[in-house]
Amino acid sequence: MTTWLARRQPFSLRTMSALFLTLWCLIAAFPIFWITVMSVKMPLDAFAASPWDVIWGPSTLAEGKGLSVLDILATLGLLCATGWLATRRLPRWVAAFSPLGFSALGWLIAAAGLALGFGVVGVVILPAIVGGLDSALGLHPILGLTTEHYRAIWVEHAFWHNFLNSVKVTLGVTAISLTVGTLAGYALARSGSKLAFWILIAALIFRALPHSVLVTGYLPIFINSAAILRPILGDAAPTLYGQPLAVIMVLVAINQPFTIWMLRSFFHNIPADLDEAARVDGCTHFQAFRWVIMPVMWPGVITTGLFSFLLGYNDFLVTSLLLDASNQTMVPAIAGFFNRETTMTDQVEAIAAAVSITAPLFLLVMVFQRQIVSGLTAGAVKG
Amino acid sequence: MKFKTFAAFVAPSLFMMLLFIAAPLVLVFVESFYQTNPRMEAVSVESCTPGFGTQTCTTQTKIQPALDASGHQVMETQFVGLDSYRAVLEPQKLWDSLRTLDWNGIMQIDFWKALQFTLLFTFVTLPLVLLLGLGLALAVNNLTKSLRGPVIFVSLLPFIITPVIGALSIRWLFVGDGILTRAMEHFSGTDISMFAQTWTIEILMMFYRVWSNAPFAFIILYAGLQGVNQDAVEAAMIDGASRWQRLRYIIVPYLMPLITFVALIHLMDAYRVFDEVVGLRTQGHVISLQYLTYQFLMPDVSGNRSISRAEASSMLTLIGIVLLLIPMLRRTWADQKGRAQ
Amino acid sequence: MYLRKIALAGAIALMGSSAMAACAFQNTVPLKMLSAGFEAWKSATGAMAECGNFTAELDQDFGKKQPEAFAANPSLYQIGGVSNGEITPLMNAGTIRPLDDLVAKYGQNLQPNQLIKIDGHIMAIAMQVNTQHLMYRKDIFDKLGIAVPTTYDELLAAAEKIKAAKVVDYPLGATMGVGWNLGEEVNNMFLGFGGQPVNPDGTPNVNNEMGLKTLDMLKKLTAYEDPEYLTSDSTYVQQQFQQGKIAMANLWASRAGAMDDPKESKVVGMIEGAPAPAAMAGGKPATTLWWDGIVIAKNITDEEADAAFRVAMEGLDTEMVTAHNTDSVWLIKGYVPGRLAAGAFATAALNPPPYPSTSAMGVMHMAMDGEVGAFLKGERSAADTLVAIEANYTKGAKDAGILK
Repeated sequence: MTTWLARRQPFSLRTMSALFLTLWCLIAAFPIFWITVMSVKMPLDAFAASPWDVIWGPSTLAEGKGLSVLDILATLGLLCATGWLATRRLPRWVAAFSPLGFSALGWLIAAAGLALGFGVVGVVILPAIVGGLDSALGLHPILGLTTEHYRAIWVEHAFWHNFLNSVKVTLGVTAISLTVGTLAGYALARSGSKLAFWILIAALIFRALPHSVLVTGYLPIFINSAAILRPILGDAAPTLYGQPLAVIMVLVAINQPFTIWMLRSFFHNIPADLDEAARVDGCTHFQAFRWVIMPVMWPGVITTGLFSFLLGYNDFLVTSLLLDASNQTMVPAIAGFFNRETTMTDQVEAIAAAVSITAPLFLLVMVFQRQIVSGLTAGAVKG
Repeated sequence: MKFKTFAAFVAPSLFMMLLFIAAPLVLVFVESFYQTNPRMEAVSVESCTPGFGTQTCTTQTKIQPALDASGHQVMETQFVGLDSYRAVLEPQKLWDSLRTLDWNGIMQIDFWKALQFTLLFTFVTLPLVLLLGLGLALAVNNLTKSLRGPVIFVSLLPFIITPVIGALSIRWLFVGDGILTRAMEHFSGTDISMFAQTWTIEILMMFYRVWSNAPFAFIILYAGLQGVNQDAVEAAMIDGASRWQRLRYIIVPYLMPLITFVALIHLMDAYRVFDEVVGLRTQGHVISLQYLTYQFLMPDVSGNRSISRAEASSMLTLIGIVLLLIPMLRRTWADQKGRAQ
Repeated sequence: MYLRKIALAGAIALMGSSAMAACAFQNTVPLKMLSAGFEAWKSATGAMAECGNFTAELDQDFGKKQPEAFAANPSLYQIGGVSNGEITPLMNAGTIRPLDDLVAKYGQNLQPNQLIKIDGHIMAIAMQVNTQHLMYRKDIFDKLGIAVPTTYDELLAAAEKIKAAKVVDYPLGATMGVGWNLGEEVNNMFLGFGGQPVNPDGTPNVNNEMGLKTLDMLKKLTAYEDPEYLTSDSTYVQQQFQQGKIAMANLWASRAGAMDDPKESKVVGMIEGAPAPAAMAGGKPATTLWWDGIVIAKNITDEEADAAFRVAMEGLDTEMVTAHNTDSVWLIKGYVPGRLAAGAFATAALNPPPYPSTSAMGVMHMAMDGEVGAFLKGERSAADTLVAIEANYTKGAKDAGILK
């Protein structure tokens, strides 16, 4: 009772803390909110002088493009439902249905399913129902809104192609980083040798390197790799420039230092007795690693994997220099939209693309948020 | 663990790092003492360009690369020692400015200007990120359980958003009569141009970095707070320790390894500041060390690059970060030694 | 309601995308092209894609990888889009092929004006010309009784009047962003004062009377410009024009079309073009002439070159120009100059120099770009800035092998 009383915070402190958080949330969300608003307006509104014009979109409305009250309610409802599903329901379903030891896979399927469901309901089912109701009730649009920029980006500019490339690169980076990284992280955590120490220090310095130095060093070599490798590989020598696999390897390498440091501290928190017991029972080091250590490592792997995912998904420097048009991922594609000698319409389209690539990240954090916190609590932050 | 097993486990990771990071690094280091450029010759060339309706043909003397019989440029490489480093550091100009205590003179040399900003940026954002991160972690930890999820979600947004996109959206909000500039003009009653002078641009860049990196500090420290020993906190409370004392003597020391970790990561990332320069297009006012290297490497309209100066500047950048990291490395060293025994 | 619209549009687009139209032949050789990404290239590559098996990479930073990509064997792209600036590294490395045979075979519809001849060989096919010239708000000029300025001194006087009348935020739009634009402005003005920035022997030649006049004039102009001029490029100036924030600017001819786009512009019909002003009375317009066009890689098979050239010709035909007449000042047969192209034509009639395609100019351009900002911000005197430009150029020229 006394501790409860002592813990109860004075009113002023609680208000301060709440105010501080509210302010922070506003600052954190505002730029993203604002570009989302801009992306659904005609260029004249999106770059209008008055913020109210940007929000209400008079010239967008004048073209008859807008949302009725019912549309707005339906959209909000859909967003809330998605949020609720992702944070409340999904964890339970994943826990219940994913095959033992493969919760990561379960999460992946769940996240993809959620995205798909959101798309189907939002683009097909809901519009049909609400559109029908709108015309039945004779509701008029009150908020200017147009999705034509999204259509232009995804359909006319074939942005889905870039999306698939991003998926390829990101999944590749995450999978290879984690495979290679867990092996190294485990060995580094269990070995007290001088060599292990020096590898870690070298990794730390590699982590600090400016990327532009490395990347521009690759460019001529990647472009001429066919000629360089011909004496070794014969006619099968590939041109690495433009190959997603080559870019994946570069990103994995750049990401290795962080991955092995992070995973090493997770492994540190798993008692060494565990694998020693397994070894006494006749397991090799690798068997102990695979069958005894890995099953308890999933929280760490998921957390580290998320960081790898972000790196692969968000990278600009490497992908823009080393990939050609047919394999280009989303971020350099968007930078390309902006860097063109653009018109205002192009810019709003680019903003729509920018919002589009943020959406999967949104979903990802919504789904994995608890895993990040619990993962970090369980492991990395103690080492 | 036997060396053989250890090697087998580490080999794939090590191989990738050696191939894609260490090898280019060694190459850059060696090449920085050499200069390679095509052999040029002066030739008289007639070229015709279109006008409106008619063509203009002019004959002029051009200095252009000589091609060999097979149509390739003839490249010449020579050992130049520290010349490239001298071209970047400009020691003579620096010395002249130092002698006359001419700060502005030093700031006219690109390398020193970039170094000055990079260090300023790193050391101003570091405490801000740590403080904001710790503040958020404590505040969220105070929150009722049901609200924590949504707040953490919103807080993480600046961290996950693609950096190039994030910087661009900050630019839209502030450039010209951007909405936030207009809001500031409204409240202050004066005409504000955020991209017109160096110091406001520097503030924007730092604001962006704190905005996007504080969530990382927050989430790590918040996770750390979950493991604070409640017995120790209660014991302190029974002893009458104030809220501030509990924070100062129990919580912060407990979080210290994490704070060091976040500081280390932030130091590395802030030192290679680059996205802000590109995204906010600040190169007219503010450049960073990594941007300087990038600028030397990028070909101009005629395809010329200053490779040797880029190599020198990247080696100098590397030396800088190693110097900054030495205190941290020594700490890690001691830590590792302790662990190994 | 809106949601149903996108669903519908998606379905239509999926059905429509497989149709190939308006190409005289079916291309079977896989072709790739790398070029800049402005409106005219979007139109031209769109027309080329109709022949099939063609992908275009439109990237404003294409110059960063084009030289290497064309030097690879086989070349990574068959077709390149270049201007008279970016053709230099390709010519220097000998990675593009002479087009004389192909022009004889497939170039019946080309105008003689389109053939870019270097040293007696056709090395590129130009599709458009571009130049920076004066665009101004006719309504404002009429209201304030300002005559169209023909020299920069007159332009300053006009700017003063507009500023005093307070009809727009800033009288003058500034394409002075550091990165490339500022160097272009300095070079334009320097040429306008009769300067020649690089000597034939490759030594710099800006530290002189003309250099001082150039810097002085640029500084005077900034007084009437948006104070954020060092971060402002032509896209930004175009937007300021469209939103009615500026009254005049020396802007690229390729930008004129957007002024009359009702979806974006609040000043439809109010913008007129005029020749670029001269730096000094009686001088040539202080601007340079540019062209944009296509080149074909050398390190590809003759069949590929053949197909590439044919596809390119399909993209640069009369049909495309008719469909996209206002995108640019085309050199292609069938182009009808519109109201907004008048300024570009009037500029060209006064014979400004073409932008020189030399290695030395590339280095000088970036030296000007890098050093003049400090002068405009008031951190350095004009004399010191000219010395700094020459020093910067000398270093770059040594790296490039131009100077020993």
